[in-house]
Amino acid sequence: MNKKYEQLLAEYLSGELDAEGKSKVEELIATGEIDFMEFRELETLYEELGAIPAPKPATKGHERFYKMLEEAKQAKRKPWFQSITEHIKSLRSVLTMPRLAYAVILMVIGGFIGSQLTNDRTDIEQLSLEMQTMKELMMVNMLEGSSAADRLKAVNISTELPSVDTEAIHALLFTLNNDPSVNVRVQAIEALKRWGDNERVREGLVRAITKQESPIVIIELADAMIELELRNGAVEFERLLQERELDYSVRQKLQSSIAVLM
Amino acid sequence: MMKVKKGDLDKLGLLFERYNRPLFSFFYRMCKDCDTSEDLVQSVFERMLKYRESYTGSGTFTTWMFSIARNAHIDHYRKVQRSAIPVEIDEERLEVQEDDSAGIDHKEQKKGLLEVALERLDEEKREIVILSRYEGLKYKEIADILNTTEGAIKVKMFRAMKELKDLVTTLSEE
Repeated sequence: MNKKYEQLLAEYLSGELDAEGKSKVEELIATGEIDFMEFRELETLYEELGAIPAPKPATKGHERFYKMLEEAKQAKRKPWFQSITEHIKSLRSVLTMPRLAYAVILMVIGGFIGSQLTNDRTDIEQLSLEMQTMKELMMVNMLEGSSAADRLKAVNISTELPSVDTEAIHALLFTLNNDPSVNVRVQAIEALKRWGDNERVREGLVRAITKQESPIVIIELADAMIELELRNGAVEFERLLQERELDYSVRQKLQSSIAVLM
Repeated sequence: MMKVKKGDLDKLGLLFERYNRPLFSFFYRMCKDCDTSEDLVQSVFERMLKYRESYTGSGTFTTWMFSIARNAHIDHYRKVQRSAIPVEIDEERLEVQEDDSAGIDHKEQKKGLLEVALERLDEEKREIVILSRYEGLKYKEIADILNTTEGAIKVKMFRAMKELKDLVTTLSEE
């Protein structure tokens, strides 16, 4: 086979070739520049390679990994604990009785002032609640805007909110299912993941799977399903695999996601 | 991985759940040994933790992960000095398959031959075939891992496939 077509055929085999490239290959086969028999043999061989199985890893690997992770987490905490102990030790060397008495007096005065300010705290809480409501309103309005940049900003606002109400969730899900911009839809998934404990969000994310056309959004949703452990997602991915002609990489991603979710 | 880098080590558990099987399959197809593959998967996640600061997020996560996996594989074989040992199970396996060939259906026999042929490919070509065919990496990603150009990877992949085809023909005639 002609060496100048090696790269083209490698792309064909892995499924990385676009429609134009595929028709070029067909053309080269038709003109005899690519030997059809050899091409077919390679194509079959590539398919057959997929049938060679690999065993599953043993469960002891899981135990080893989580033991290692736990050790790493403890090792990470250690310096923090050590630094506190060292700090206390260094304080002890500078704390004399007069200084200690002075600190106690300051604490008493602080406590008195603090008790006077408690009433103000409820006002502050009220104010921050109003601020949040305002932010939510602004977000919902901006999500309806015509500029993709504004809609992206709106989605980002939602990530700053400590909690979201039903309307905001509805707006984000609507964006995920209907926004023309892929970036906005991906960002909406990221934002919704933050509220992954909310049942409405979980249901909405699963339902959104079959409504998506963009491979990027589908892959992002696959990641979200795994992160939020949404096992229902596997059923929707199965349906997607059966009903649609998806890219090779998307199929692979969905198959591996299904394997994790099942 | 960015969250792991920022100190949320629990997120590594999520990455483990998602990638331990592809990594195991990669190592198993490279070395054909379950225990070694398990050790190497563990080694990859230890390295991810150790070198998490080096993750920039500029390329895909799988590219970074398989770069680590590849280094772990190379280091392992350097350490045990087994890289020079030729593949010795080929003939044995092939003979077994030939002895049983009357009872096994043609497809199974072809699969066995293909498996042996894959083992007979040189390591670099085998690695490219595994990363592309089994791990679903794009040629550009493989090129980044192997520190070469996308074109070179495509040519090597095509030649590996041709070599595989010839090997299968030779093996079936033996």
